[in-house]
Parts: sequence; structure tokens; C-alpha cells
Amino acid sequence: MFNADTWLPPEVSLDLCIKCNICVSYCPVAEATDLFPGPKYAGPQAQRFRMAGQPAPDLSVDYCSGCRVCNEVCPNDVNIMEMNARARAALVAEKGIPLRNRLLGRNELLGKVGSRAPRLANFALHNPVSRVAVDALFGIAKEAPLPRWSTTGTFVDWWEKHYPHRLISDKKVVYFHGCATMYYEPFIGKAAVAVLEHMGYEVIVPPQNCCGLPMLSNGEFKAAGKLYDNNLRKLGPLAAEGYDIVGTSTSCTLTLKEEAPHLLDRHSETTQALTHAVWDIFEWIRDHEDELPRDFIQMEMVIPYHPPCQYRAHRVGRPSMDVLALIPGVEVHESHARCCGIAGTYGYKKEKYDIAMKVGQELFSFILEEEEHHHTEFNACDSETCRWQIEHGTGQESRHPIEILAAAYGLYDLETRTTL
Amino acid sequence: MTDLLIIGAGLSGLLAGVWARRQGLRTRIAATGLGATHWHAGTIDALGYLPGEDAPVRSPFAALTRLTAARPGHPYALTGEAGLREALAAFRTLLEKLGLPYGGAANPDENLLLPSPAGAPRPVYLAPAAQLAGDMSRPEPYLVVGFQALRDFYPTVIAENLTKLGFRARAEFLPIELITDRRDFSTIDLARAMDSADLSRLANALKRVAAPGERIGLPAILGLRRHGQILAALSEAVGAPIFEIPTLPPSVPGLRLTTVLREHFERDLHGRLDLGMTVTDFHAEAGRVTWVASRASARPVRHRARRFLLATGGILGGGFHSEPRGRVWETIFDLPLTAPQKRSQWFRPDFLAPEGHPVFRGGVRVGPDFRPLTLAGEPAFENLWAAGNLLADSDPISERSLEGVAIATARAAVTSLINTDV
Ligand SMILES: Cc1cc2nc3c(=O)[nH]c(=O)nc-3n(C[C@H](O)[C@H](O)[C@H](O)COP(=O)(O)OP(=O)(O)OC[C@H]3O[C@@H](n4cnc5c(N)ncnc54)[C@H](O)[C@@H]3O)c2cc1C
Ligand code: SF4
Ligand code: SF4
Ligand code: SF4
Repeated sequence: MFNADTWLPPEVSLDLCIKCNICVSYCPVAEATDLFPGPKYAGPQAQRFRMAGQPAPDLSVDYCSGCRVCNEVCPNDVNIMEMNARARAALVAEKGIPLRNRLLGRNELLGKVGSRAPRLANFALHNPVSRVAVDALFGIAKEAPLPRWSTTGTFVDWWEKHYPHRLISDKKVVYFHGCATMYYEPFIGKAAVAVLEHMGYEVIVPPQNCCGLPMLSNGEFKAAGKLYDNNLRKLGPLAAEGYDIVGTSTSCTLTLKEEAPHLLDRHSETTQALTHAVWDIFEWIRDHEDELPRDFIQMEMVIPYHPPCQYRAHRVGRPSMDVLALIPGVEVHESHARCCGIAGTYGYKKEKYDIAMKVGQELFSFILEEEEHHHTEFNACDSETCRWQIEHGTGQESRHPIEILAAAYGLYDLETRTTL
Repeated sequence: MTDLLIIGAGLSGLLAGVWARRQGLRTRIAATGLGATHWHAGTIDALGYLPGEDAPVRSPFAALTRLTAARPGHPYALTGEAGLREALAAFRTLLEKLGLPYGGAANPDENLLLPSPAGAPRPVYLAPAAQLAGDMSRPEPYLVVGFQALRDFYPTVIAENLTKLGFRARAEFLPIELITDRRDFSTIDLARAMDSADLSRLANALKRVAAPGERIGLPAILGLRRHGQILAALSEAVGAPIFEIPTLPPSVPGLRLTTVLREHFERDLHGRLDLGMTVTDFHAEAGRVTWVASRASARPVRHRARRFLLATGGILGGGFHSEPRGRVWETIFDLPLTAPQKRSQWFRPDFLAPEGHPVFRGGVRVGPDFRPLTLAGEPAFENLWAAGNLLADSDPISERSLEGVAIATARAAVTSLINTDV
């Protein structure tokens, strides 16, 4: 259990490094490009030279994608990725933020603006001319898999319509939808509500805002702190009352649990209560397995599955695989690939697009081989940006495991992504 | 329900996972990270030196009685000679099947002597096929070939030291562009580049520098995925025996070994391996471990299983923790350790003391069935076993027994836990 009294900033863990180079052997970005020397060099090694008030020793840390493969393989629990993230924030403080990164950090604002007139926004952003312009003006790669705004309304538009018909129950659970479900993929939220209600839970959707991750990963710590504090005000009281808060976006839940408080040094009692209340939805379902109805329909399908990088930081194993394995006829094949490459907003950046595609190659090959051998129609991944990148890299459609679970109860159509 | 939860993904944890899975146990491995294979030479060292002796051991089996006389609690005293032999043979069969064959001396009782990264003789019981032509009992003179700009491999040092030992040896350097045009590289990067490199350019360059009758030692970078094919194709194209010499870390032969075991466990045998999971706590009822808990982002994750195998590698692997004054403890179950609990007793004054340093010999004492013991000599828990280098009384550094102990004890622990009703 997290303990604020024993918590140390990630930089302190540099002394745990024995220079074994295991992290360097597995870092997918260092493999893909010479621009990044690898986790040991950018992390614990450069950290020795990072002093307050001194210029940064090495700018290459900006090429770390944050995938955390290094943290996962390191035998000594060195917090390499966190060290890199904080070093990047220091760079941002020193050199300022490019307009492009400001844009990418404002996922929620983009979501809101686009949702006013989603068809127009989709056309405006997704035509070849504008993509070239955005590429040239802002440095957002013209090929990168930007999402499309939902043209059937936002998740909360739907929730307001669903509210009078919602399941009322003594068992209650709070749902954190995040920006992607809100503006781009409301069907993920609908599938989640369908499953949670099928489990007999009344779903609460409180007011909430962006978790702040895109800003954190672009080194905009101040702005991210504001978002985090807003959420703390809105969700904190529910957490204090003992409600579990589940989310379908592995990155949002991670940010609320750990990433924001750790990177931003927020360690009050209320932040800890929030941390302890937040669950990845499959982590929560696995924990509530005895409440999971077994009225599955037979599904006869092979699903190539990629555990998103954020699970490496949740450190809860692969809960969606554990749960999907309960569905009769479903065979989940794990990718064993390190990263899809996109790493949040990394692969959107013009100078990083090619690196991201190279990093994703081992995953794309796996998906395509599965398609060839098992005639799979869909692959699955819990994280939205990863799904967009996988679709971009393979041409095969990707689904959230919650969509598959909802479909296994006959509550959801995987093809059209609509609730039944 | 998981039949067996293994804690640790080093050589002993991975092998135990493979062997348990092959016996049909639903097996999971949880570990902080990957293990020591990545900074070792990828060889299987069973017993290279006896405590206090300078000369390398010729036959690890013949030396066993003297080892266990000096160290009666040594893991090899528990496995016995038959157990050690059987486990090494099983390892060899397994790796053959996984396409990364290992070989040994012509006399299967004896060690090989292979050149170390400094050109010194290194007693090894089994070596990857790629290192076998380095065998010091072979007659061919050595040509050690390095690459300009490759840090971590020193052909001149190796050749000079081999010459001092009485071998005919010389060094040559080739341009790194024969393998890669990248600017910076580790040995792993070079091995990956070799997977797709045009071998004929390298082969031609090697032919130009090699004299007839020489064997050619290269840094251990001959491919990752296509290692076997690359070794065979290069030897054939050059027309000379080619072998790998291990480099400074990261160790490509160690990475190959970990990769084949891990992929076999996860993909062929459908075992579950979770890294980034540091186990910190446990719960026991009526003398049985019911679950262990690992550190996670918001709340610990509980892992329930029928049986647990502790393979956390001791002081080198992170299974033990210490504080500056010298207390050393086992981090999960707080099992009693034989390690000296005062810092002044950890080390001998001489860094290279042939007896080794006491702190590296300290560890968990187990019974003949590989269950950890309490101070009273009883099994600490009915369903907890231990294997690998956290065991008491072996000193992997001075004995050169790291892999032998890992393999033999993993095998023995799996046999014991399968045959015990829990
Ligand atoms: C496991 C291990 C433990 C060690 N322990 C010790 C110890 O305790 N004490 C000790 O003294 N030594 C130790 N060493 C050795 C020591 O680390 C090295 O000798 C030392 O780091 C070499 O320093 P360096 O600056 O020459 O090279 P490195 O530290 O290897 O750094 C080279 C740097 O140059 C960069 N670079 C390389 N080529 C180029 C290029 N073409 N253009 C631009 N940049 C380039 C690399 O990216 C890297 O940042 C250890 C080594 C290892 C592997
Ligand atoms: S894996 Fe961990 S200990 Fe090894 S070099 Fe990297 S940070 Fe250091
Ligand atoms: S987080 Fe990923 S990209 Fe960054 S250093 Fe670690 S492994 Fe490399
Ligand atoms: S999809 Fe890729 S970027 Fe996203 S988390 Fe996964 S591995 Fe990382």
C-alpha cells in the first residue's frame, strides 16, 4: 500500500541502479533510433548530472516514449521512466513548450470544441490538405492516427438520456469515462455501463474533467496539477465515502491512482483516498469475479490481445485476459509485443512518428499473422490511443475488452459498436 | 486456482516454471524484473573452483565430495551428484529442443576451459554451441577479432593474455560498418543488426584477416533471432571455426537464454509471467501460505496459489535486503538467513580472496525437500519451497556455480513440490 511517509521521489532510486543494462536491452525506442541512447543513460546515469539551477546535461530524454518497458524488466526497481518524465518537465520549465505540445496536451479542449460540430470538425481535421497544413504548422505528423469526434453525441449526452432508465441498486460504483470516451468513443462507456449494470451495480457518473495525463507526458506539470486538483474536488468526496471508481481508459485510471500524485508530489490524505478508490475496470471486475454473471453466450473467436503499456505501471498483471478467459469459446492470444509505439501523444509528433511506427512493428506483425492464421476480425487493447495506432498500423479494427465482455452477454454488437 | 506461483524470473524461476508447466501444473511467475543471466556469460557454470583453491576444478562431479565436506549445507549436498547430473542433462535436452543447443567437454564428466572477456581461462560445464570452438584444449591458434568503436570488447587484451598463458593468439580489428551504420550501439544492438546484416561482407573481411588454420573469436554478437543460422553460415563462408567470446554487459548469450526460456514458458506452455511485480507481503493460515501480495499502483495485488516457490536470487537478485549496519533479511517471508548480521563480517579483507566473501554465502536454509526451514529446523510453511541462489552455503562468485545451483535446485524443488500433497 502506498505510504506517504516512506515515499521517495523517483530520482532517489538512481542509486539502486547496478548498470546491468537490462533496460537498455529491452527499450524499444533505443532499438529504433540513435536519437535516444537508452534508459540507463537517459535515466539513472544522466540523473547524476541533473542539478537544480544547472543546464540539462542531455536533451535526448525527450525521446523517451514513457512505455515503461525499462521499469518492468529492471531487476532493481529503478523508477527510470518517472525519472525521465521529471527530467522532461525540467526541460520544459527551462525551454518552454512548443505550441504543438500545448495542443496535444489539451485533449479535453479539443474534444469539447470538436463536439460542437463533429462532422465539420472531422472533415476539417481529417482531409489530406489540412493534415499537411497541421503537419507543417504544428509538427503533428500527417499520417498519425488522430481520432474522430463522435457524430452521435458525447457520452454524457447519452448518459443523460439513459439516466432515468438506469439500474437502481444498493450496490453502487462510480464510472470515470475520460476524454476519449466522452468525445470520440462514447460506445466504450455504454458497454461499460451495460456490463456494470448486468453485474447488478448502479452506476454513478459524477462531473469530472480530463485526468491531465497528456499534459504530464508533455512536461506541462503546472497545468496538469490544476486538472488533477479539479478532479480531486469532484471525485474526492465519493472516494472518501468509500465508493470504488472504475475507468475504461487505462491511462486515466493510472494518472488518478499514481502518475499525477507521484509526478506532482501530491501526497495529502485526500489524494491517497482517491488513489485507493480508483480501479482499472478489469482490475475491478477480476476482483469482483464472484459477482460476475456466467450467462455468457458461446463466442467461438480468437482475439489477438495487446496489454497496453499502462498496465506495466498499474502492476496488476493482465486482468482483462483473466476475465475474457471466462467466456466460453473465446481464445485470447497475447501479443507479447513491447509497445504499439504511440505512447499517448508521442507518435503524433512529426519527429517521432517514424520511430513510433518502427516500435509498433513487432505488434503489427503479430496482429497480421493472427489474422492470417485464425481469420480474426478484431484485435483488442484496453487503451484508446493504442487501439487507434494498432488500427493505423494493421488496418484491422480494434476493440476494448469491455466491448467483448458486453458482447458475450448479448448486450453489445461488436461490428457496429452499439448496445443492444 | 493457480497450482504454483513462482516468485522470481531468473534462471531458476524460469526453468522451474517450464518444468512445472510441462508436468501440467497451472503455473505463474511474478517477478520484479529479469535476472542475472543478462550480465553473465550465458554459460552453465556448475563448479569451477573449490573454496580456497587456486586451480580450476577439472570435473565438477569428482570435486563434489570435497565441496560438500567443506560446505555441508551446500545445495549440491541436497541434490546429490545424481540430482545435479540429471538436472544438467535435462537442461541440455530442453535447450536443444528450443534451438539454442549447449555442449560440453569431450569427456562429459569434465569442465571446459573457455577464454573469458579478458582472455583468462574460465571453467564452464556447458556452453552455448557458439562458444565451444573457444575450448582451450583445442589445437588451433586464436585470432580474436573486434570491431572498431565497439566498447565492451577488447581483442588486444584477450590475445595478450592468451599469449601469456602459452597459446598462439593475435588480435585484429574490423570496421563496424560491416555490421551496422548506426552511430551508437550496445552489443545487443549489434546482435540485432546481425540478424539482418549481409553476412558475405563480414565473411570476406574475416577471410582477409585470418591465416590458414586459425580459429576466429568474435564478440558475442552473432545474432539474436537468427543466431543459429548466422553461426553456421558464417563458419561455412569463412571456412574456419568461429566462436563467440562473452563481452561486458549487456550479455547477448544471456539474453538469448532468457528469451528462449521465457518464450517457451509463455507461448508454447501458456504459462503466465508478470514482470514489474515486486512481492512484499504474504498471509499464512495453519502453517500454509494462502497468498502473497505484490506492490501495485493503488493497492497490493493478492496472488493465491496452492504452492509457492521462492526464487528471488538472494543478495545479488534482490531477494535479500540489507541495512548499512549489516543486518540482512529475506524480504518476503523474513525467513531465517545464515548471512552474517554484522557488516564487519560480510567481507574478507582481500577483495579477490579465493574463499569468497561470507555475505555471498549467506542464505536460506532448506530441508532435503527444498522447503525453507525455521531456526528449529522445521519446514517454515507446508507449501513453500525455495530454489536458486538464495539458498545458503553456496558462493556463486568464488565457486563459479551460479547456473549449476540454479538449474539443479530448480529441478529438485519442482520434483519435490509435485510429489507433495498440499
Ligand atoms: C556493469 C558494469 C559495471 C561497471 N562498474 C564500474 C565501476 O564500478 N567502476 C569503474 O570505474 N568502471 C566501471 N565500469 C566501466 C565503466 O562504466 C566504463 O569504463 C565507463 O563508463 C566508460 O566511460 P565512457 O564515458 O568512456 O563510456 P560510456 O559510459 O559507455 O558512455 C559513452 C557515451 O558516449 C555516447 N556515444 C558513444 N558513441 C557516440 C558517438 N559516436 N557519438 C555521440 N555519442 C556517442 C554513448 O551514448 C554514451 O552516452 C562498469 C561497466 C559495466 C558495464
Ligand atoms: S535495468 Fe535497472 S539496474 Fe539495470 S541498468 Fe537499467 S536501471 Fe540500472
Ligand atoms: S520508458 Fe520506454 S522509451 Fe523510455 S526509456 Fe523506458 S523503455 Fe525506453
Ligand atoms: S499502446 Fe503502445 S503506447 Fe500505448 S500503451 Fe501500449 S504500448 Fe504503450
